[in-house]
Amino acid sequence: DLSNSSIVTLASELAVSLDALPLNEIPAAPELTEEDARDLDALCLAKSHFELKEYDRAAYFLRGCRSQKAYFLYMYSRYLSGEKKKDDETVDSLGPLEKGQVRNEALRELRVELSKKHSAGELDGFALYLYGVVLRKLDLLKEAVEIFVAATHALPLHWGSWLELCNLITNIEMLKSLSLPECWVRDFFMAHMFTELQMIKEALQKYQSLMEAGFAKSTYIISQIAVAYHNIRDIDQALYLFNELREQDPFRIENMDTFSNLLYVRSMKPELSYLAHNLVEIDKYRVETCCVIGNYYSLRSQHEKAALYFQRALKLNPRCLGAWTLMGHEYMEMKNTSAAIQAYRHAIEVNKRDYRAWYGLGQTYEILKMPFYSLYYYRKAHHLRPNDSRMLVALGECYEKLSQQVEAKKCYWRAYSVGDVERMALLKLAKLHEQLNESDDAAQCYIIYIQDIFSCGEQLEHAEVSTALRYLGQYYFKNKLYDEASLCAQRCCDYNDAREEGKALLRQISAVREQGEPSSTDLSLACVFNPLINTTTPVRRASPLDLSSVTP
Amino acid sequence: MASVHESLYFNPMMTNGVVHANIFGIKDWVTPYKIAVLVLLHEMSTTKPMALLDRRRLNKLILPLQQGPDLTLEQFLKIVEECCLRMVNAVKLRLLLMADGELQDMEHFFTILPNAFSDSEAFKTSVVGLFMRQMLLAYNKLSFSQVYKLYKSLQQYCHHGNQPELSALPAEDMELTSNEDPSADHIDKDELDTASLHQSELRSEGITRGPLSQKQAEYFLARQAYLLKNDENKAMSPAKLQDELNNILKFNPDFAEAHYLSYLNSIRVQDIYISTHSLLHYFDRLILSGGEGKSNGDEGYGRSLRYAVLNLATLHCRFGHYQQADLALQEAIRIAQEANDHVCLQHCLSWLYTLEQLKGSDSVVLTEDSVKIAAHFCLPYLASLGIQSLVKQGAKQGMPANKLLDALRGTDIMHWKQSLSELIEISLAQTTSIWRMYGKSTMARQQAQLLLNMNSLEPVNFSVQQNNTEAFAVALCHLAELHAEQGLYAVVSDILKHLKQQFPPHTQHAKLWMLCDLKIQFEKAMNDGKYHLAEPHVTAISALNSTEGLYRKAQLLKALNRTSEASKILQQLQQQCEKSKNIEMTIRVMLASAELHWDSSGFATALPLLLKALSLSRQHNLQSLTSETLLHLAFTQLMLGIPEQALVLVQDVLESVLAHGSLIDKGRALLLAARCQMALAGAAAQEHRLTALEQAVHTLDEAAVYFSQLDCKERMRDIHYLQARLHHTLGNIAQRNKCSMLFRLLDQELPSSGMTVVSHL
Repeated sequence: DLSNSSIVTLASELAVSLDALPLNEIPAAPELTEEDARDLDALCLAKSHFELKEYDRAAYFLRGCRSQKAYFLYMYSRYLSGEKKKDDETVDSLGPLEKGQVRNEALRELRVELSKKHSAGELDGFALYLYGVVLRKLDLLKEAVEIFVAATHALPLHWGSWLELCNLITNIEMLKSLSLPECWVRDFFMAHMFTELQMIKEALQKYQSLMEAGFAKSTYIISQIAVAYHNIRDIDQALYLFNELREQDPFRIENMDTFSNLLYVRSMKPELSYLAHNLVEIDKYRVETCCVIGNYYSLRSQHEKAALYFQRALKLNPRCLGAWTLMGHEYMEMKNTSAAIQAYRHAIEVNKRDYRAWYGLGQTYEILKMPFYSLYYYRKAHHLRPNDSRMLVALGECYEKLSQQVEAKKCYWRAYSVGDVERMALLKLAKLHEQLNESDDAAQCYIIYIQDIFSCGEQLEHAEVSTALRYLGQYYFKNKLYDEASLCAQRCCDYNDAREEGKALLRQISAVREQGEPSSTDLSLACVFNPLINTTTPVRRASPLDLSSVTP
Repeated sequence: MASVHESLYFNPMMTNGVVHANIFGIKDWVTPYKIAVLVLLHEMSTTKPMALLDRRRLNKLILPLQQGPDLTLEQFLKIVEECCLRMVNAVKLRLLLMADGELQDMEHFFTILPNAFSDSEAFKTSVVGLFMRQMLLAYNKLSFSQVYKLYKSLQQYCHHGNQPELSALPAEDMELTSNEDPSADHIDKDELDTASLHQSELRSEGITRGPLSQKQAEYFLARQAYLLKNDENKAMSPAKLQDELNNILKFNPDFAEAHYLSYLNSIRVQDIYISTHSLLHYFDRLILSGGEGKSNGDEGYGRSLRYAVLNLATLHCRFGHYQQADLALQEAIRIAQEANDHVCLQHCLSWLYTLEQLKGSDSVVLTEDSVKIAAHFCLPYLASLGIQSLVKQGAKQGMPANKLLDALRGTDIMHWKQSLSELIEISLAQTTSIWRMYGKSTMARQQAQLLLNMNSLEPVNFSVQQNNTEAFAVALCHLAELHAEQGLYAVVSDILKHLKQQFPPHTQHAKLWMLCDLKIQFEKAMNDGKYHLAEPHVTAISALNSTEGLYRKAQLLKALNRTSEASKILQQLQQQCEKSKNIEMTIRVMLASAELHWDSSGFATALPLLLKALSLSRQHNLQSLTSETLLHLAFTQLMLGIPEQALVLVQDVLESVLAHGSLIDKGRALLLAARCQMALAGAAAQEHRLTALEQAVHTLDEAAVYFSQLDCKERMRDIHYLQARLHHTLGNIAQRNKCSMLFRLLDQELPSSGMTVVSHL
């Protein structure tokens, strides 16, 4: 079917999700109406012109047609013609300020005609979609939302309208206030929307139920779930899903930039290299490909080349948000702070809600030794991702540099409470307490830190268990809890950098025990073996460390 | 935003991650409007015989036409028409010929354009010459399609404005236009169809209205920024200005200066959120342009970083976030120190002492350092700002007056040499305040008038006669208060009206006149004995200035005879003032407490307080307070039964009170003198007694004049009572009866106060 297929090129997403449908119930093709039959020749001709991107020509041959499909194609060609001219125009606009003024001249005419037809109720789903797009381009967002909702009602299976709607919805309240058609596509939309609004849990639920409902093989859903896992930084799950996705759909380029981000975070060089080479073979002039290559070079510390590839990605699509941010990161690595700031600012201009760009700006200024200045940017980032520990840790570090210890402590503690990704918050908090001579609090933090490190199982390169153990050993020693102290000291000996101190502490303990009164050790031993009896110790005092389960 | 970035699509100019905003280095380009201006210039230079007056008017027109935003043809022609009727026809004819002809006509115009100027008075480097050459350059750089586009837009420009006329023109012309833009006609018709469409169309019309070239935008920004600084009322309203800025930023997001103006604009409406955002955005952008513009790239870049933090500090300071400001300032100082930037450090230092002052701590040492170093690095502005700040602190701490005024005069000489008009204004306002504090009302008045009558020294003066800076507000407030003291309430209300106009309530310095207005009203209500009217003013005053509010509250309570509450507040106030070293207020509080002691007949206990107040006020050269204290002392002595001493004191102080004091002070001093005279007369021998009593009557008469000017009924009642008594003693029955009748009338009118006549000053 002609106009349907023209739309499918618009929205390959729909095709992807339709592929997954069980093939037993193909809907019968709709009957051709009389008008359709009359317009068939013109439509075929116009369609060929349209596909050759001769939009004006296509529109010209369609001007007399009356059928809905022909009308849509007619209007759509006019719209695209305007867009194309606009793009051409920008190259030789008269001056820098005028550049922004180059507009799609066809928009206003289209709008007037469409609104007339719309008020007469003569628009079908596709035409409504086009009307919505025109309105959005004219910055009439409110009206555009209404029209897109109407378009989804008229033609729920057209994913394009849903996607446009998705771009216009800014918060959950707005989403809830819309009356959307009851259709299975709606679930896709909701899931997509939840991902956009960072409500990952809800999104995952939706996708799960969709998979159970029969879309299990849909690569679209798999990729979306993988992206969702990426957003909540569940790297293993996301990696697993992406690998599966590449098996099912080896020539897929979409979402591969996200995949490369994951590989980058995990420093999986060979995999990233393989992915990059593979993608270049498929299509080297794609934004995603350029981003993957950029990441690849970045991982190899060839930052100039990385920046070059991100620039190429931006040339292919200047609205590619991720590339701006990643380019900012590259410039940061190259110590070109001014270029980094510009890149981040561009990213923010494209999307004000891009927390990574705000965070990057903050980092840039922190590198420039302006912690107070960077506070603003970190706060912005934190505002956008309230439950991301990285921003909180960054905020805490800034406050620490400004010697605002109270705020710093709050930030670190909050970072720990929201689930610390890098497991640095507690260590920093402990060190802060240590500096402020709040030994009880410091010890408490170190204890939780050690338990935390060991319970998560994986080996972290920057883990400073030895520092914690060393401090705890000294702390117990000072508080005359010699058994715990010696335990810590023994653990210290497992680490290269703390071995000497551990041994020294052990010697000290044995010396004290030899000359000191034996009764105190008895008492503390009793405390260790019967922690339940131990009610006399002050509340603030750190409880003795239970290291029996610890396996370093 | 979207379209802007799509326009980067083929941008080959992106190097090193930086997109060059201005690719060709041209700040201006040819628009149909510019062609119209060029046509006007061309016509002006070709038509030689022209009336002198017309020429002058046209010449005056050229600059605003070049710098202003693009006008429609109608507007343009109308403006020209106002200057020279003949010219407008020539211009119109020429433009229409060009528009109705062919592309060739426009090209021809640009080829003959330089010829017309070659032998005329327009030099190559003159404003007109530069403009013309710029236009030619811009035109010559246009590509084929751009020229065609320009011509199309010229046709549209000429015919869009002339539509009503077109209907009268022959049909062939109509055809031309209808070929060109059927869309415009189409839309016009449709706009009438649906109201909602019409509205949104208007909106989009509004958005596209101001296509400013970079030159025009820069001019616009400079002008608005200047107005914001000097006369906010003449600048655009905050909302409108923000719209305009958004418009500029939409077309060119890299236009950093617009962000800065947006920062200034949002500070106007006290919007910390947007102002912080804009400020940081500005510096983010500036850092880039600064980095590449300077040959010593790193220097310019680091410099803007330092000033970025410093500006952030000032922002927080402005909003009263002193802790934040402190942190930012320290950061700025640290960076500046690392970079060895002494100028920036100086700016930081001057902000540091300002901040310390705002926080209420002593910063004399810091300020002195600042002045010294600023002088060393030849930064006259900062140095004299520091001196002014030092003078302010010195005045508060009782430095010798001659030293202070000497310092001010010294800096004034420098200001005039360097034409630092802003500082001259501040200096004059400061002198006014100092004279006022010392109680020399005439000198204060004179200085205030000097400031108000001064012409602005600013080189670019956008028809701003009087700036609305803080200095002017201060001077005007002083004037208002001085006039109120003399009972000239009509003048006061005029001044306040002017203040309200110049400094609308939302602006930064509006609090000054609000407080002044409230104080005057409070005083008036208190003098009239309308305490219920004074009460709401107290609350309002405390909202603006808590110390002042407390003091006024105590005064009100005292007047209402709620002495215990009043004394509690006074004690509290005393502690506060001693902490903040507010000498003036301390003395006032002492006087008020002494008055409280009088109420409980503790005249002897009031003495030490008064003596302390006297020594304090003498030490700080506060003449009006000194005389006030002396009057208090004299009254106490009178009450303690030593009228001779009291009279001597009063007579000592009478001269300065009559010269500088307010009306009420004058009246009170005379009343006190009369009472001393009465008391003395009672003790004197018989033969002197009569003359003494007559003298007292005379003094009372004088006092009555002042009180009646103020319409201060309570005091009038006292005077009538005393006069009646005196006349009775003197045996003037008729006079006595008249006075007692007046007394009775007033007594009936006023609520009977619990106080006896004698127990207050």
